[in-house]
Amino acid sequence: MKEKLDNIKAAALREIELASTTAELNNVRVKYLGKSGEISLLMRDMATVAKEDRPAMGKLVNELRNAVEGTLIAKTEQIAELEKQARLKAEAIDITLPSSAQRLGSLHPLTAIRRELIDIFTGMGFTVADGPEIESDLFNFQLLNIPKDHPSRDMQDTFYVNDNIVLRTQTSAVQARIMTNAQPPIRVVSPGKVYRSDDDASHSPIFNQFEGLAVDEHITMGDLQGCLTTFAKKIFSEDTKVRLRPSYFPFTEPSVEVDVTCSMCHGKGCRVCKGTGWVEILGAGIVNPAVLDMCGIDSKKYSGFAFGFGIDRIAMIKYGIPNIKLLYENDVRFLAQFN
Amino acid sequence: MLAPISWLKDYVDINVSPETLAKKLVGIGFEVEDIIYQNKKATSVVVGKIINVEKHPNADRLRVTQIDIGSGVIQVVTNVPVEGGETIAVALDGAVLADGHAIKRGELRGVLSEGMLCGLEEVGLSAEETDGQKAGDILRFEEGTPLGTNALDALGYDDVILDVAITANRPDCNGIYKLAKEVAVALSTECRDPHIGYKTAGGDVNDVVSVEVKNSDLCPRYMAAAVKNIRIAPSSKLIQKRLRAVGIRPINNIVDITNYVLTEIGQPMHSFDRRELGGDKILVRTAAVGESIVTLDGKKNTLNDSMLVICDAYRPVAVAGIMGGEDSGIKADTSEVVFESAKFARDNIRRTSRALNLRSDSSARFEKGVDFASQELGLKRALTLVYECGAGDIVDGVIDVAVDYAKVREIPFTIKKLRDILGCNVPKARLINILQKLGIAVRDEGGSLVAVVKEDREDIVGVNDIAEEFIRVYGYRHIKPTLFEYAALTEGGVPDGVKVIDKIKDTLCACGLREAVTYSFTSPQFADKLRLPADDDRRAAVKLMNPIGEALSVMRTTLAHSMLETLAYNVTHFVSEAALFEVARVYLPHSLPLEELPEEREKIAIGAYGEGVDYFVVKGAVENLLDAMNATDVKYVRSAEPFLHPGRGADIYVNGVKAGYIGEVHPDVAKDYGVDNFRLYIAELFADCITADALERRKVAPFTRFPVAERDLAVVVDEEVFASDMTDAASKAKAKDLVGLKVFDTYRGEQIGEGKKSVAIRFYFANLERTLTDVEINQQMDAILSALKRKVGAKIR
Repeated sequence: MKEKLDNIKAAALREIELASTTAELNNVRVKYLGKSGEISLLMRDMATVAKEDRPAMGKLVNELRNAVEGTLIAKTEQIAELEKQARLKAEAIDITLPSSAQRLGSLHPLTAIRRELIDIFTGMGFTVADGPEIESDLFNFQLLNIPKDHPSRDMQDTFYVNDNIVLRTQTSAVQARIMTNAQPPIRVVSPGKVYRSDDDASHSPIFNQFEGLAVDEHITMGDLQGCLTTFAKKIFSEDTKVRLRPSYFPFTEPSVEVDVTCSMCHGKGCRVCKGTGWVEILGAGIVNPAVLDMCGIDSKKYSGFAFGFGIDRIAMIKYGIPNIKLLYENDVRFLAQFN
Repeated sequence: MLAPISWLKDYVDINVSPETLAKKLVGIGFEVEDIIYQNKKATSVVVGKIINVEKHPNADRLRVTQIDIGSGVIQVVTNVPVEGGETIAVALDGAVLADGHAIKRGELRGVLSEGMLCGLEEVGLSAEETDGQKAGDILRFEEGTPLGTNALDALGYDDVILDVAITANRPDCNGIYKLAKEVAVALSTECRDPHIGYKTAGGDVNDVVSVEVKNSDLCPRYMAAAVKNIRIAPSSKLIQKRLRAVGIRPINNIVDITNYVLTEIGQPMHSFDRRELGGDKILVRTAAVGESIVTLDGKKNTLNDSMLVICDAYRPVAVAGIMGGEDSGIKADTSEVVFESAKFARDNIRRTSRALNLRSDSSARFEKGVDFASQELGLKRALTLVYECGAGDIVDGVIDVAVDYAKVREIPFTIKKLRDILGCNVPKARLINILQKLGIAVRDEGGSLVAVVKEDREDIVGVNDIAEEFIRVYGYRHIKPTLFEYAALTEGGVPDGVKVIDKIKDTLCACGLREAVTYSFTSPQFADKLRLPADDDRRAAVKLMNPIGEALSVMRTTLAHSMLETLAYNVTHFVSEAALFEVARVYLPHSLPLEELPEEREKIAIGAYGEGVDYFVVKGAVENLLDAMNATDVKYVRSAEPFLHPGRGADIYVNGVKAGYIGEVHPDVAKDYGVDNFRLYIAELFADCITADALERRKVAPFTRFPVAERDLAVVVDEEVFASDMTDAASKAKAKDLVGLKVFDTYRGEQIGEGKKSVAIRFYFANLERTLTDVEINQQMDAILSALKRKVGAKIR
């Protein structure tokens, strides 16, 4: 009997050893430990064993069973591990393949710059307003000290809808609307589309303007310079310098053109600034008292400054866009560069 | 304005380079747009003398010349039949001609040639621009012209000209003398007055002509003088040279004098042949309606009663300030001239000039505004020139018909006010000094000052103008930046409208769309291209009076056209896929022609094409957008938009209002836009229809912690039944624990039957308080099924 047990044990352990898959191992389990497996049958055969030998025999069979079971479990775990390793190996992917996720779109550079500008000016206490693009002559011109048949109308080539309605040539029209509807303190920027009958390599008949207006007691040219210096440093770089030059706009007096040091060469002189180190970016000035009065604000008590520039121009400088037309062509290969 | 520096030097000493002068002028508010060196039109073209000519050994038509260019002798091969002893112009090795052509030393048929003989074309001039040079010939100079001289210098083109932008507030500077006054300020020196000095030859101007001004508001001043025994001749070399430098062709002494005075003093003048002033009378009046005049340019102008004309005793002889009549020119036999030097209202000149489409140097000048000080100065300067060049005998006296006008304007101000405007210190002595240099006297009245401004500075009316005059000379560098030092604090910030638009754009970007920006105006053809029916509101578009062209002549009422054009642009430019959006306004008139401002509404357009793009991809973007806007009541209804595929388009209703549409573009329409190799997809929504709750912050709702049960159901319905009909019916069924559902499969096939489809829907059930039992779920599924049977005729397969 003992011999038989040893033979079974040797056979079982060998078969376990030889099994290489969970299925084979299961077959071994059934063969030895199943209901009619060889070891189970041994227990049944116990009846034939002499009564006094049964405890010893039983113990031997149990030991056999435990040994086989133990080996089986160990082998099972081993195979499971191997199989898992094999599966993981088979599951390897090319981790450099492109994703299937929805790729991000992009904001137009004019929007990106416009947001940046709004962020800068709201930080200085400005709010944001807009008005109609098809505007009355009154708000676009007359309230801004540009009467009909005045030569300063030649400064802007205007699109007319009729004698009294125009496509706004400047977002200053919004300023006139605000001043006729509100009392100081006023501090507002008005970004938006404007229209001028100008269409060549460097002009687009539509472009985007960003204008600012501050009206209050004690507003000075120094405040204008401070405000614009802050703006220039933030939009270009901390080392940007600002220079005012005398100029003329009907709605401001005194009027200035504002130059900033070239952001490409930091004032050293390059192709972009035509070697001067300066780039002209905006017009500004102290609000003409006549404009305040026409809009119903007491020019004896209040003063203000106003400035305006092209968002397109800032975008072109910042992104190195060589031609304004690119902004309105909407070629995907252009738009895709502004992620 | 073109300002030759040599002419400016008549009035002010200039001892700095043109570049420095330009910089100084910019500093005080006169932008110099260009510095033109006349003699740099062509470089290294010099005067030379031909000292020897021989035949070319290898070419019959060529000659080999030896040319003395002062510094030496060069050999030039030429085909020009020149002879020894001639003084000519030669381009040297390294010369660049007016057309950009470069000259290089080289061999011509085996003989060295070190330059090229030059004619007018090579130096960029025409025969009229020179004194006696011939077109088609080489330039020839008088014997004795210094050899080696720049040929342009030798032709009198030796000036440096500043092109100065005069701002609209300074019409008084539109004259060499007037600008010279500012140059003097820029250079801190003095400006001389124009030379006035002539002798008259007796007689009385009032015997020659009488002047009557009917409309003194349109002609506040009219001066006239007469010259007899006119001797028509060419002007002096200097006058001719100066006129050419500013782009005016010399004609004869009388015409040249009026042009010279216009350029120098800024006063337009007109010269009448006395013979054309019938009745020896000048009458300034508005035209009668329908009255007409043929002007110098041969054009017949029909006038109206707002237009000012100069008449003799019988008829109009000139459109005031703009152009003389047909016969008004100075002729070879003109013997008596009446000079006009007048001030006309600038806005009236501008209106008339535009209405008649009639322009001249004179009208351009009057439009800017001519001050009261210029008529007398201009007239006397003209008479001085007549006298100096002996062009005729000046009749005694001048006629001056003028309204009363203030010779000076007094502006009281304080230094404190200037400081308040500028935000910088204003030293009193410096202020007074600067203003005086600008011709503004200052009277000190104890506490306050009074600026006394002359008539030529019509732009100075208030203290802000005084501040500007001071600071532009004192220098803006004196102003130090401050940030609202004395003004109130304001809160600032972005209004909701801007936040909503930002949110729309951010959402669409997250959906993979790229933002486009297109023109607001478009072609009137847009409506036909989109196949809009005749009564479609979108056909009512605001039209521009003066568009750049037909293609940009109406304000858009829809973004669809621009979006389709943009997609087509990308297709035709070899872009294989595009997914774009635009947020922009459309312009919707209340009535046409426009009586009030149109409504401007913000719209959102989406457009896409390319591999993997279909209706549902675009719908996905729209759904994401509507989710971001917190729009919950959304319905898609089959669309009848004429430019959409009839079976693949939907109108989108939000909160029961039609907000827009989405769909595949009709293939015929796509083809009209030039696209037949891609299916195009488009959507368009009114922003205000979807943004009512865009910024709302909803309170958080509870959700179940118990298991969620799923049940699938496949039913057969008619082909026409929309998935949304089924989900609507199911949602409204008596199934209180139904928390979600989705259509996950649609199947068509023989077993289902013609005109039918099998739709599989997955339902999700959950309860906040407990785990649901099968019985409860089955009851609710039964209710859902019966609702589907009842409402959409569903059958269990």
